[in-house]
Amino acid sequence: MKTQVKAIAVLGLALVAGLSSCKKDEDLVPTPPPTENEGEVITTMTLTFVDDAGVQPTVTATFRDPDGEGGLAPDIFDTIRLQNNTVYNCSITLTNETLTPAEDITAEVLAEAVDHIFCFSPSGADVSIVRTDSDGTFEIGIESQWTAGAAGNGTTTVSLKHQPGTKDGTCVPGETDIEVNFVTEVQ
Amino acid sequence: MSYRNSAIHQFNIYFFNSAFHMQQLTHILGCILLFLVSSPVVAQNDCSYELSGYVLDAHNKKPLPNSKVHIRELDITVTANSKGFYSIPGMCKGEYLVFCKHIGCDAIKDTIELTQSTVLNFYPEHHLEIGPVEVEANKDADLTQKPERMSERELNESRGLSLGEGLSKINGVSQLSAGNNISKPVIHGMHSNRILILNNGVRQEGQQWGNEHAPEIDPFIAGDLAVIKGANSVRYGPDAIAGVILVNPKELKKTPGISGELNLVGLSNGQQGNVSATVDGNLSKLPALRWRAQGTLKRGGNVHAPDYFLKNTGIFEYNFSGAVGWFKPNYGIDVFYSQFNTEIGVFSASHFGNLTDLQTAFEAERPLEEADFTYAINRPRQEIEHELFKAQGYLFTGDKGKLTFTYARQFNRRREFDKDVPLNDSLAALNLPALSFNLTTHTGEIAWQHNRVNNFKGSIGVSGIHQGNTYRGRFFIPNFRKLGGGVYWIEQWKPKGSKLALEAGARFDYIYQRIYMWVDEEIYSPEQHFMNGNGSFGASYAFNKKFSVRGNVGTAWRPPNVAELYSDGLHHGAAGIEIGNSALKTEQALNFTASLEYDSDRLRFLVDGYYNIVNNFIYLRPTLETLLTIKGAYPVFAYSQANAHLRGTDITVGYELTDNWNFTSKASILRAWNFSQNDHLIWMPADRFENSVEYRFNKNSKLTNAFISMTVVTVLEQTRVPENTDFAPPPEGYTILNASMGMDIPVKNQLITVGLTANNLLNARYRDYMNRFRYFTDVMGTNIALRVKVPFELVKAKSIHEIHN
Repeated sequence: MKTQVKAIAVLGLALVAGLSSCKKDEDLVPTPPPTENEGEVITTMTLTFVDDAGVQPTVTATFRDPDGEGGLAPDIFDTIRLQNNTVYNCSITLTNETLTPAEDITAEVLAEAVDHIFCFSPSGADVSIVRTDSDGTFEIGIESQWTAGAAGNGTTTVSLKHQPGTKDGTCVPGETDIEVNFVTEVQ
Repeated sequence: MSYRNSAIHQFNIYFFNSAFHMQQLTHILGCILLFLVSSPVVAQNDCSYELSGYVLDAHNKKPLPNSKVHIRELDITVTANSKGFYSIPGMCKGEYLVFCKHIGCDAIKDTIELTQSTVLNFYPEHHLEIGPVEVEANKDADLTQKPERMSERELNESRGLSLGEGLSKINGVSQLSAGNNISKPVIHGMHSNRILILNNGVRQEGQQWGNEHAPEIDPFIAGDLAVIKGANSVRYGPDAIAGVILVNPKELKKTPGISGELNLVGLSNGQQGNVSATVDGNLSKLPALRWRAQGTLKRGGNVHAPDYFLKNTGIFEYNFSGAVGWFKPNYGIDVFYSQFNTEIGVFSASHFGNLTDLQTAFEAERPLEEADFTYAINRPRQEIEHELFKAQGYLFTGDKGKLTFTYARQFNRRREFDKDVPLNDSLAALNLPALSFNLTTHTGEIAWQHNRVNNFKGSIGVSGIHQGNTYRGRFFIPNFRKLGGGVYWIEQWKPKGSKLALEAGARFDYIYQRIYMWVDEEIYSPEQHFMNGNGSFGASYAFNKKFSVRGNVGTAWRPPNVAELYSDGLHHGAAGIEIGNSALKTEQALNFTASLEYDSDRLRFLVDGYYNIVNNFIYLRPTLETLLTIKGAYPVFAYSQANAHLRGTDITVGYELTDNWNFTSKASILRAWNFSQNDHLIWMPADRFENSVEYRFNKNSKLTNAFISMTVVTVLEQTRVPENTDFAPPPEGYTILNASMGMDIPVKNQLITVGLTANNLLNARYRDYMNRFRYFTDVMGTNIALRVKVPFELVKAKSIHEIHN
């Protein structure tokens, strides 16, 4: 009989051990709402163009998708309108407006400048673009110079490539973090 | 009773026996000595009783030779001699259930408590009709949906592979994969929530809805892997639309002693190693107590396609399980716990930022990111933990039947790490997964199986489920709570000796679900109710022992899963915006299956045909719109419902040319059609053909079961795809060559099994339509695997088997 008692004890022990080793059931409604720990939403990109000669008024063009990818469509998608035969200094700002206050992503891209590059490809409009800043080795593109030539309409694709460890100054490697195709008018 | 007394008692029996000789004397003396020194290993003495007796006709007391006597606990059967005498020596102390069966008689059952050598006579009622002896009948034979089991060799050859890969050896089962580490089983074109996996008798509850979410099961646990193809909700509940996968461990050890098995597997591609060990025990003092401990360790690095390594395709896995059971003739209880832990690298070049990147990757000859060999696993990766705790009990309710109770708790944690850490340094430092889900599931079932009464046998049962899901990180599916219950009743009609068996069943299920979502900082918690009735009817007819036919009409259902109901946003792995629909109705299947089976000495074939009508089939419908995001425009897919038909056939033909040469051909063909859209269904496996030739060596003293085989696998190009719904056209068809050899080597009374297989022997370059990474890379090249299985015995107790051998 004694061995039977032992056996039952072993079974009981196994039962208790099994149950207690399980993870606890979780509360289904965490309060406050779950934070987006990944949270790297870029909602807004603004291009600010300042006339190098200080004659033409400053131009801004914004793309804004306040709820990030998916959900609602973008609520602001400006056209870039530049004066012909003018040289502009362009600076890009990126923000995450899902947070309050809005988070400045530009600073974070700058902090990881060795892994990032902005790429510009105008099409149709007479605009030539060169990056004017550097991470020490390669250009970044947060700052750039846009030279608007003759009047005409087209588009300009502004993209941000993430190139961790593979940055070579070109736009080939890496993944695309941003790709916005602005309608561009040279007046 | 003390040991000393029992030994003396035994001595007396032997003394008065005429067959008393020196060997037994030394044996007995040895036993007594053992007791005197009270060695812990006393198994031998406890197991030297003999059960013997005569099987005599109940009316005229004439001997009934060739009667079978079967002991359930030991799973052995002996045959009575010409005088009707049987004897089973070497039995251990304990309680046993003994069956006696004579041709044309009803089986007799008796429970004995063995404390000494015992004489047990049986007096069967002899009837005149003659039927086959069925002490242990093939329990699947009469089923109208017969499970297809993997053979011992197929099981051996699937060691070291994932569950999905291993199961694809069964004709009609294919895989939906995401690279080399993530493989989901596909039955007749359907997968995920349309397949039910029963792991050790418990519904596997993980995050099955995801196309990149593989089943969380250690294949080394399985001693038996089987697939029931076709709808089967009546017995198994919701989700069993395309079929059911049964993963069962071997039964716990019934004979005294401690023994085990060691499995070693090495694979050349990815330099993957697997070690798995199982130890089984049964105390001779307490034959009712049985236990098992099992563990598996797996590690693999980057695999290579014919031309390049695939970056970040390593895997690390550690799994363990334990079981303890207490089994008596009339009742039993067992407790099982298992833990599955895996870390999977996701092929780096499969990660892309937007559609432009996807297009660039697809157009590139080689993956845009390459690497050398390493075991290191970096981002992107998945970490999954799955725990199963199960307690099960059974009770024989007299001669009438058996009552089974099962409770199980599962915990599933899935964590997915994106390729890139957040830009924000403080966030990045946390190294958190981009999304994680915790899913906890409790399930319970009570079932009563009744023995044959008036040609009917069957089972009736109730089952319940409670489930809670929480997530952290990026939103993909909301938190939810689910409660469900079902009742079923299945009966089978088969008169004795009848070639025809009929089966019918019915079931009713109810599911309540409540969602918890944050919308604009307010909690939104809609409730949903789903209910469904199911029925099935089938027949099997055995023309003779070789040839049988089966047919079944069954229904199945599944409620829409939370991803289909509530997902809303960019699916990074699928390059599309996916929009759920909270108004989706339950998916319902009406499934016809028919099969012909022929098995003779030379020729055998199995032909399955199926027609599955799925109403309210849930799928992602391309809306042909795009949604603009800061990463560019993405196509929008909306979860929609349609009426779909899936029909096809699986054919296996085997021919033994001689005792040495065998040819086997398999074909699996499926056609799937969306009736509402008048178009093909996407992601359906292409036609597949397999031809193999095998040579079996004659048995000699050094080798048994030695064979060598070659298999040619041909998969055609999938041409039946809907238009404008995929990012790239399906890849071309391909043919690959596989080779396999194996043998059993006797070493000290044990058979060591050695196998060598080579997959894609000619290092062919190909892509598979059902691989989600086909946009980015070729499938891995040649993979050579060496497998060794070593059974071992740690504590030896004298058992009946050895005496008989």
